Amino acid sequence: MKLFTHILQYEWKSLWRSNILKALLLVVLGAGIYGIYFGKFEIEKQETRMAQVQQYERQQFDSLLYWSTLDTTYEANQEKYQQAVSPTGVGWSKHFTYYLTHDAPPLAGLCLGQRDLFPVYYGFNVTDLARQVNVGELANPMKLLTGNFDLSYVFVFLIPLLIIALFYNIYAREKEGGTLSLLQSQPVSLTTILISKGLLRMLIVLLTVTVLLLLGFLLQGISLAQQFGLFMSWLLIIYGYCLLWTLLMGLVISLKRSAALSAMLGLGVWLIFTLITPALLNMFVSAQAPPPNRAEMIHAVRTLNDQNWEKPKSFVFDRFYQENPDFPSADTADFNQWYYASFTLLDDEANALKQQFEDQVAQRNQLLKRWEWLAPAAMVHEKLSALSQTDRRSHQDFVTEMYVYHEGLKDIYYDKIFSSEMFAPSDLETLSVRLSE
Amino acid sequence: MLNLIAKKEFLTALRDIRLQVSGGILLILMLTAVLVGKQGQQQLQQEREDAQAAMRAQWVNQGEKHPHSAAHYGQFAFKPKPVLSFLDVGLDNYTGVSVFLEAHKQNEILFSRAQDSNGMTRFGEMTAALIFQVLMPLLIIFLTFNTFSQEREEGTLKLIHGQGLSMAKLFWGKVGGIYGMVLLLFVPIIILAYLMLNQQSASLDTEVTTKFGAITLGYAIYFLVFVILGALVSAFARSSGVALLTLLGLWVIACIILPKATTNLASKLYPAPSQFEFRETIRNKVKNGIDGHNPSDVRLASLKEEVLEEHGVATIEELPVNWSGIAMQAGEEYTDQVYDQEFSSVESIFHRQNRLSEWIGFLNPYLAIRHLSMALAGTDFTHHVTFARAAENYRRDFVKVMNKDMEVNHKPTIEYSDYKVGQEFWSSIPPFQYELPSTANILATQWRSVAALLVWLVALALIGNQLAYRIPKL
Repeated sequence: MKLFTHILQYEWKSLWRSNILKALLLVVLGAGIYGIYFGKFEIEKQETRMAQVQQYERQQFDSLLYWSTLDTTYEANQEKYQQAVSPTGVGWSKHFTYYLTHDAPPLAGLCLGQRDLFPVYYGFNVTDLARQVNVGELANPMKLLTGNFDLSYVFVFLIPLLIIALFYNIYAREKEGGTLSLLQSQPVSLTTILISKGLLRMLIVLLTVTVLLLLGFLLQGISLAQQFGLFMSWLLIIYGYCLLWTLLMGLVISLKRSAALSAMLGLGVWLIFTLITPALLNMFVSAQAPPPNRAEMIHAVRTLNDQNWEKPKSFVFDRFYQENPDFPSADTADFNQWYYASFTLLDDEANALKQQFEDQVAQRNQLLKRWEWLAPAAMVHEKLSALSQTDRRSHQDFVTEMYVYHEGLKDIYYDKIFSSEMFAPSDLETLSVRLSE
Repeated sequence: MLNLIAKKEFLTALRDIRLQVSGGILLILMLTAVLVGKQGQQQLQQEREDAQAAMRAQWVNQGEKHPHSAAHYGQFAFKPKPVLSFLDVGLDNYTGVSVFLEAHKQNEILFSRAQDSNGMTRFGEMTAALIFQVLMPLLIIFLTFNTFSQEREEGTLKLIHGQGLSMAKLFWGKVGGIYGMVLLLFVPIIILAYLMLNQQSASLDTEVTTKFGAITLGYAIYFLVFVILGALVSAFARSSGVALLTLLGLWVIACIILPKATTNLASKLYPAPSQFEFRETIRNKVKNGIDGHNPSDVRLASLKEEVLEEHGVATIEELPVNWSGIAMQAGEEYTDQVYDQEFSSVESIFHRQNRLSEWIGFLNPYLAIRHLSMALAGTDFTHHVTFARAAENYRRDFVKVMNKDMEVNHKPTIEYSDYKVGQEFWSSIPPFQYELPSTANILATQWRSVAALLVWLVALALIGNQLAYRIPKL
């Protein structure tokens, strides 16, 4: 044991004196801190945007509330008053636009995941969602392709490189420096010495990632106490990943090749796991299970919409009452009741297709998941983004939440429309409370 | 003499088991990438052509209805999958593929593949471009890193020099031999890829051969740049080990870290508005006028006056033409103006972001070839914008025809639901067609990347020539 600490001590001294270790640590820490700030910057940008739409929504609704109190004996006030209390709005496309935001989970800034591929807020009114959800955030596709330089990127891509750089010459350096025979003449076996050298390097790596993760929490202002579980999960995953790379490098070293060849082999393994296997997987899955043709949904909706308008009103009402038998029977001459009934048909049509598409996508992702272990880098990244709730699934959950919110809106609006009533102050109050939730 | 050295380098490389293995792996990867890539491209293109044809049939057979209802029914435009995207998929997984074209509204181009995938997509797709841009330089590093340093370590460099061979000759001989080795891997794949261009390719893009040639030339230059760079580092490095580490370090920075950092920096330097701000600006400008002092109701009133005066009548009811048709077309045109302004301002932000990394191509040849390759393959941002423009112009044209018909033929006395046109009219609208930008056009927009590659080549060649005699022999 004493011998062991002895080796560690001297190995540490010689490592620390070489400028290579300092340079490597400096680069990795620098990259890590840049990544932390970049992640913070991106999330703050999203948060500003979400705050902006929420503020706008609040303002707009407050003016509606104010308009609903106007004195309608003045002609100038009448339109505004109507606008506020009428569940159908006044005129074309003057419905109130509600916004729902996909608030950033606490660790989103450490792993931006797929959050930049999807909108973080949706604006919609009480009419059909089918024609309102097909929007994207304005984004430079070049940036989407390149991906984000966040902390998870540093862990997944750069830390393995650090491990390779620290490990590749553990054996070869002794041999090429002529110290190998000296070591072999010692009472301890060469393996013990190599393992202790490896252990020291691993400690350095583990310490570096721990420091980086702590810095991530600190600089992004994430409370360690509240998110301790997530912190530990992240740490465990990254430790496991580091262990995997250490073992791989151990394999490379055990071949006892020259420093140059060991470095090449290490980099070769890195390329295979971070670049080649994920790229091959993507290629085969794209060929095996191409993504669905989503234009079909827009087509189906427009075709149905066309029929709604071209066919007699009973076309809409018949289908509407089949689905919603509880509604008070409509006044068939009433335009609004027909008009709003037609929206539900559009959504029904779209939802059936949407489900079908999601099933297709799920199948495709299942296929990717089954072979994920071939690409440990991608697997770790996927795990980290799942933990940070920035993966595709968390966006899907947000979309589901939006559908539920929209259903809730419809309950309030359709009730009034089908009984040909206006919003009472209490209804507006209910709606107003829903906003701030 | 030069040939002899080149031949010796070539043969040494060919006999090295390590290079046989890595070269073999690379060859297999390239074969897979090209074969699977081409098949995928063909399949996607077929799907999109079919979808486009099906939507066209829907349009023609939509039955009898009012032209304005037809404009709402709308049409679709599908983005063709460029032929050479099988070599370089570029931005294709991150840009939308189809757009719904309807009255009043400029829709987004939607449904990128990345949105239908999990996070794995971000790790890239195996394409020839990925191999050429990232893996090939690595192979070149392995081929070059010890070309001088090893001879120096073994003492043969001094011997060769002692025989009166100029170092410049030795340098270019080595570069030639190693480059020959690289071409041995590159040329067969390129020939194979060329042979895969078929009838469908030619009909999709008439200039495909020129573009293919330009891409090949671009990569050939890119490889040569790395070969000279590697030989130079090997010539002046203290040892083979140092040479290798230096080159690997440069590779990691150039191919892995810098591209990401550059793009992220660009998005910080030139921030783009959010979707919400963008839509709000458009809405406000349509409502209050582009200059803010020309609200929509005033615009409508003055248009009305103009039209009434033109026909010499006092009220809309007396007009011999359909007022709604005129008003709607005027509204469309004003909205189009606003859209154009706002879209081009966002586009120019994105272009500025991309241009930053094109400029950085002068520091990092990887970025230069990346942009050039994407552009020539038809998968860069410019191509996406060109398609968006083409689709939008098509939308405007057909909506205009619908409005015009309404203005002229839908007499004011007829009810909306009673005025209908049919198939003959729908088929008179030509189907959507889109021409890919020409090679000359692409090279003109990508002049920075072309220049960067050439600057790299010329500068390294000059440096090699100038410094060769100084290569340490011991």
